[in-house]
Amino acid sequence: MKPWLRYAICILLGMGGGTAYAVHQVRSGFDDKQVRNEQFEQWSANIDQGTVSASALTRAKVALNGLLALPAKEAMYFVTRTDMDGAPLNGKCTYFVIGPKLPGRWWSITLYKGEGWLVKNPANRWSIAGHTLQTNPPEIGKWMFVVSPHEHEGNWLPTGGADRFDLTLRIYHPSAELLRKPGGAELPFVRKEHCK
Amino acid sequence: MIRNWLLPALVGVAVAFAAWQGTLVATPFVLMSAAMKKIGAGVPVNSFRFAAPPTADNQPIVRPSPDLVYASCVFDVSNGPVTVDVEPVPGHYWSVSIFDARTDVAKVISVRDNGDKPARLLLHHVDFQVELTPGYEHVPLKYSNGIALIRILVPDKSEFAKIDAIRRKSRCKEDQPN
Repeated sequence: MKPWLRYAICILLGMGGGTAYAVHQVRSGFDDKQVRNEQFEQWSANIDQGTVSASALTRAKVALNGLLALPAKEAMYFVTRTDMDGAPLNGKCTYFVIGPKLPGRWWSITLYKGEGWLVKNPANRWSIAGHTLQTNPPEIGKWMFVVSPHEHEGNWLPTGGADRFDLTLRIYHPSAELLRKPGGAELPFVRKEHCK
Repeated sequence: MIRNWLLPALVGVAVAFAAWQGTLVATPFVLMSAAMKKIGAGVPVNSFRFAAPPTADNQPIVRPSPDLVYASCVFDVSNGPVTVDVEPVPGHYWSVSIFDARTDVAKVISVRDNGDKPARLLLHHVDFQVELTPGYEHVPLKYSNGIALIRILVPDKSEFAKIDAIRRKSRCKEDQPN
């Protein structure tokens, strides 16, 4: 084999391999430099998105999964793709989401499928905002809502029957304590009730 | 035989590293460019588009928040500065954020900073000499293009008409020297 052909083969393989690996990394989830919640590891957050200090990989992942996301001091985005037992969230199952008052100006939880798309559903409801929930009973200080493909009374977030989905918790103007130690925040848990 | 492949293989590894880094670095620019085309379609550059509330049938970019309404301005400061004037919605969360072509946030102003006072920004390229404009905060940018994005919380859908009327007072336009 002629020397130039050996170089050409290696260069082509290098270009293809390097590009393919980068695409694989960018598409393989949202976990680069993520902070995992210590209590419920299902939640993770990126704390340097939108900043000049973000790595090339973080910037690429955020561009794909959450373009135009705000920096953490303005809003923190916690994402979970699993329930509290580590099983992937399934749009044919019913879940209870139970949590405490969250440390920020306002917060909401939105259901997305795929890379982050709202799911069609008959109720035209895609999120639950904190100000719409009441803690019940007040002395326990917990709120609760249902995530399910089937209609529920009260606070219901429809899955639209999507095969897989994620829940994104946005906390706007997070507290100084949350910014300082996002992994230590007391966050909601997602408990599977049943699947049909 | 192995010796014949050693140098080409090393070159291949170097090319793979460059392709890997090049793809990671290029991805935000490519996706931001696509977003600017999509968001800016049918609207002149340096002017706000006041989008309808996000729904499953209306999500021009990934991961929109259905609790917010957005207004977006695809800006270009290559010909000179661009001013962004944002009308606050009293009693509601609002913010304006300036994203450059690499997706970095150059500036965020929100109700926490300004309360019920308007936000006034003057965007310009870092290499562009700009005189101080009274009342405007200067935002130097490394890249000429980007998106100015207003977010306003709509706690109740019945409030949308009132909020929409206020947000439409916001302006994004080329700065006209006096």
